[in-house]
Amino acid sequence: MTTSNRRILEFVLDNLVWFMLLAVLAVFSAFVPNYFQISIFTNIIEASSVLGVMSIGLALVIIAGHMDLSVESVAALSAMVMGIIFCSAGIGIGVQLQPDWLAVPASLALALGVGALIGAFNGYLIVKVKMNAFIVTLASYIWVRGLVLAISGGRSAQDLAPAIRYFGIQRVLGIPLTAWIAILCFVVFSFIMAKTKFGRHLIMIGGNENATFRAGIRVNRILVIAFILAGCIAGLSGWLLAVRTSGATANLGVGLLFNAFAAVVIGGVSLKGGVGALPGVYAGVLLLSAINTAINLMGLPANFTQVIHGLLVLAAVLLDTFKQTIRQRLA
Amino acid sequence: MKRILLSIFGVLAVAIAMLTPAYAQSKGKVYYLVPTLLDEFQTGSVSALELFLKQAGYEMTTLNADNKTDAQQSQMNDVIALKPAAIILAAVDFNALKPSIEAAMAAGIPVVEFDRQITSTPSAFTSVAGTVEIGYVAAEQAQKLLTAKYGSVKGKVLQVLGDPGDPYTLDIQKGFEEKMKAFPDVKIISLPAMQWEASNAGTIVADQMVANPDIDLIFSHAAHLSVAGVASLEAAGKKPGDVMMMSSNGAPVGLDLIRKGWLNVEVEQPLYAQAAAVAMFMDKIVKHEEIKAGEYDVLGLKGVVTIEAWGPNIKVPGAAIDKTNVDNPAFWGNMKAPTGTITPVP
Repeated sequence: MTTSNRRILEFVLDNLVWFMLLAVLAVFSAFVPNYFQISIFTNIIEASSVLGVMSIGLALVIIAGHMDLSVESVAALSAMVMGIIFCSAGIGIGVQLQPDWLAVPASLALALGVGALIGAFNGYLIVKVKMNAFIVTLASYIWVRGLVLAISGGRSAQDLAPAIRYFGIQRVLGIPLTAWIAILCFVVFSFIMAKTKFGRHLIMIGGNENATFRAGIRVNRILVIAFILAGCIAGLSGWLLAVRTSGATANLGVGLLFNAFAAVVIGGVSLKGGVGALPGVYAGVLLLSAINTAINLMGLPANFTQVIHGLLVLAAVLLDTFKQTIRQRLA
Repeated sequence: MKRILLSIFGVLAVAIAMLTPAYAQSKGKVYYLVPTLLDEFQTGSVSALELFLKQAGYEMTTLNADNKTDAQQSQMNDVIALKPAAIILAAVDFNALKPSIEAAMAAGIPVVEFDRQITSTPSAFTSVAGTVEIGYVAAEQAQKLLTAKYGSVKGKVLQVLGDPGDPYTLDIQKGFEEKMKAFPDVKIISLPAMQWEASNAGTIVADQMVANPDIDLIFSHAAHLSVAGVASLEAAGKKPGDVMMMSSNGAPVGLDLIRKGWLNVEVEQPLYAQAAAVAMFMDKIVKHEEIKAGEYDVLGLKGVVTIEAWGPNIKVPGAAIDKTNVDNPAFWGNMKAPTGTITPVP
């Protein structure tokens, strides 16, 4: 094989999920009525914003060789806390700040703060107390959702302060600001993962934690930061969720965790840790959203969504194995 | 030491003496098995049942199944072992709970079906608004709205269902589509919001408004789904009244949307009346006495008891709420607990 052919093949392998996305978009555009239009594509990007941001946090801890099952409940709690304070209907107490725009940084700080607290709690138990990440974050997944129910009493908060809701309505280049926030998060965290010491160390820890520790890298510190970041990012996704739905209900975000896992795996992140890049994860999120939209437009029974998601995850893992085999042959 | 022990026993004796009259006043303990607390109607049902059963002299304990059928089956088994005066069941799954209901009834514990009718096995009593009937009321309202717009019943309706695994939403869909079948000029697009999750409903509305910009009416099977639908419409630059909207269950958020002009109609489930009916008949249920068919006044509404194959069944009709009657305190969505007390049926 010539060098240029090898380069092309490696490029395709590295970006396989993007090619899958393009293929899926092309097929749907050709066969699903009303699919091929700019508004549908912007809807796909917009619908990906919450799941996309949540997937970033999940990907960070998975790349570091751990797991965080609490992200969905953390997002719900952040959304509910924010809803109670900044919504004016339902259980919202409608706190008003002067000037109005102050509600935006205040609500963001609140959502991120809630996420950071739970992330720090998870990180402490996993890294310092050496408890299993699966168990700790599973427990958080349960108790945090319980807390959402406890503080809301099962009721909902509606009518988010207009200054915050602005982000769900206002569009730039036809794309809502919430989607731009998600895109910005992917750009920033992709840069952090690829170009900073922290990102490289995180990948090293996921590859071999002991070797990274022996190399003099402060593994525990980086891992705790990763969990806090995952919590913060989940908090941000909760903020976006509340903005998108103009409030919060006790079951808000239910089911997002498994979609986030699906997106991360489809995006090429290895559940064993040490492998994965965030642009691929974004492609995975867009792919899931593109399929959901197609199912919405085709009017297929929703159960098909779950079947297709499941098969897609399987296909992604198979493709990953196929990629590894080709790479071994190339080497 | 002796003094301390005597004091402790003294305090305990006083406490027991104080508790005894309370027990003497209670006619027994009733367990309410609620399907979920992630829903305003269900949380409202807990407080309403508690309020009315207390008036009838019963204590109530609530167990939440978190929408899990197996969890509710285990709860039923546990509660049967406790031999309560009665069990009120709002089933997660209409069919899966059948063996548990039969086990309770066989053990002499009356089972009351609340809100979710189970017709496959006999129960002591059933109090429902009728989920299929909610669909009928919604269809009548849809016909009125479309006629007001076009002069005849025609147009495009987007029906946002709840979770496709929940028989509650499927029954409403059945009732709605059954009545709308008579109007071939109405196209209904039905899509489910998985797990009753609001942002899923928002995505459906956003996608459909692009693919079918001529949608006239959006009918969501719960008010909180309408809230997300409104958020999507707002994001698409729509204003109140641009697209007609309707939802069912009568939750507070739905009533707020009517006041803001987004929602045209909310089909209410008469939560207070449904709960009051259970309390009114509780003495008869617990004593295994006959419940007679007929009309009964339930908080001012006409409840009709019929004797069905599955036992006595009271149906209290759901009301259509619009801007003309939205502030009526009788609607549970206005969160004003009824001031009147119930009178047990003699």
